[in-house]
Amino acid sequence: MNFLHLLARLATLDTEHTALTQAPRRAALSRLGQAGTALLPALLAGLATPAQAGQKEVRTRLDALKLILKLENLQNAFYSRALGLLPGGPANPATFFGSAATRDAIQTIQSQQQKHAALYGQLITNAGSALDASPNYDFTGSRNGTQPAVYPDVYTNPDTFLKVAQLLKDASVQTYKGQAAFLQSDNYLLETTVRAHSTEARHAAHIRTLRRQRGATVKSWVSATDTAITTAGSPQHAVYTTETNINQYVSLSGLVTRVPFDSTLPINVGTPALSASALLAKVAEAFDEPIESVTAESILQVFTY
Amino acid sequence: MSDNKLLGPDEAEFAKPLFVPIKRRSFFMYAGATAGATALLLAGCDDDDDDTDTPSGTVSLGSGDVGVLNYAYALEQLEAAFYAQVIATPYTGITTEERTALTAIARHEAIHRDFFKAAITAAAPTQIIGGLTPDFSKVTFTDRNSVLMTAKTFEDLGVAAYNGAGSLIKTNDYLLIAGKIVSVEARHAAYIRDLLSNGSFADSTVVNAQGLDQALTVSQVLAAAQPFIKDKINGDNVGK
Repeated sequence: MNFLHLLARLATLDTEHTALTQAPRRAALSRLGQAGTALLPALLAGLATPAQAGQKEVRTRLDALKLILKLENLQNAFYSRALGLLPGGPANPATFFGSAATRDAIQTIQSQQQKHAALYGQLITNAGSALDASPNYDFTGSRNGTQPAVYPDVYTNPDTFLKVAQLLKDASVQTYKGQAAFLQSDNYLLETTVRAHSTEARHAAHIRTLRRQRGATVKSWVSATDTAITTAGSPQHAVYTTETNINQYVSLSGLVTRVPFDSTLPINVGTPALSASALLAKVAEAFDEPIESVTAESILQVFTY
Repeated sequence: MSDNKLLGPDEAEFAKPLFVPIKRRSFFMYAGATAGATALLLAGCDDDDDDTDTPSGTVSLGSGDVGVLNYAYALEQLEAAFYAQVIATPYTGITTEERTALTAIARHEAIHRDFFKAAITAAAPTQIIGGLTPDFSKVTFTDRNSVLMTAKTFEDLGVAAYNGAGSLIKTNDYLLIAGKIVSVEARHAAYIRDLLSNGSFADSTVVNAQGLDQALTVSQVLAAAQPFIKDKINGDNVGK
């Protein structure tokens, strides 16, 4: 059994505890020896990686619910305007999307968005809290004409509309993912939130599929091969810079462990085999990433005044 | 060792159909890995094997967070094996885009599977389940509809499984990991559904009147997955 524990600890490449580095040198050397040399580079790389910071944010459940509501209200307004349910959208909402199928899909999304907004509003008021006042929205990103528009043709060009939709959907998936952690103490709120989260991911995939059908280079999932839709330095860019992450962590008994994706793992992704860099690009694709509350807020601010 | 499933020699090669030749170099890599895994498992044997109450031939997922990880590992093994077969024997009339997308999905699932394998090996090496044996005898791999309907079943089931398991998870990091994977599964589900019927990405068969995606219990998911797995899976203590 000692051998097992040894291996388990060896696999713990990057931990918050210092047990591994404090172990007697001789023991450490014998562990390396048992693992074989193939593991050595990974182990060294792992040790060189700074320990992952723990939860960076501390938020209440109410904070989490309010951010989700803000996000859902904004998206509900975005799609409602596009469909002509609220003023401020396309001149002719009936023909804006070009096809009945696209319009139907946007209707499905808007309807579920509205339900999310109603649900989260109710969760907040049921808990005895008041709802924040609704902000004003400007989906061109000009903040009611006080700055140059980022998306001036959002309601005149369906490609721009879908681009903004993709940005908001990907950001929504990330925001839900980030907030779920703050709801873990309440099983009902947690389950509600993870379920709304995967609905958002379904929407995101469809929007991306619609864009691809219109000629954009984009997968139904977030991929390094997607043509960028944000520019460096903008708040929106954070949605996609986080998605290049290839480090995933697990923990047990307080040990935070980085699971290495490199040549030392027998990752078998079929034939033909992928190069190391192509494999890591697929690793990045295979995991969606969270964004922190402050990042989510700054993205929402682009469309709010 | 009462449970010889754990010693399955084909574990690392699970996703590959048997008739696909493996490169000699890869073979030795996996042979080495398997030898190591075998040694590891033998080392893990002790006198009081706590699997003795499980009927022979049954794979127990275990309890607590490790049970949840094994549960996810089992489902990802199933998905990875399925898509590996889809790619190895593409259905009649597959388009270039479909082949590209299904290949990407196959890789995502293989990465998820290998991720869980590595994570459980790191966190609880004595408790990891072995390679499962899939049963795809009801799938006609030459037929687009059969393949995509099965893919839809697996993806929707995967999403519902992660959604239902969220509240069973005690460790914050595992909840985040589940969240990182479930949205990719949901994206797959939406893509596959749109291939079968455009616009069905979030229809009322999976998203309810509150706009919430499905969440299923462990026993509901295993009942749906069991027909595709030859080993009998026991998930009675997952998350407990």
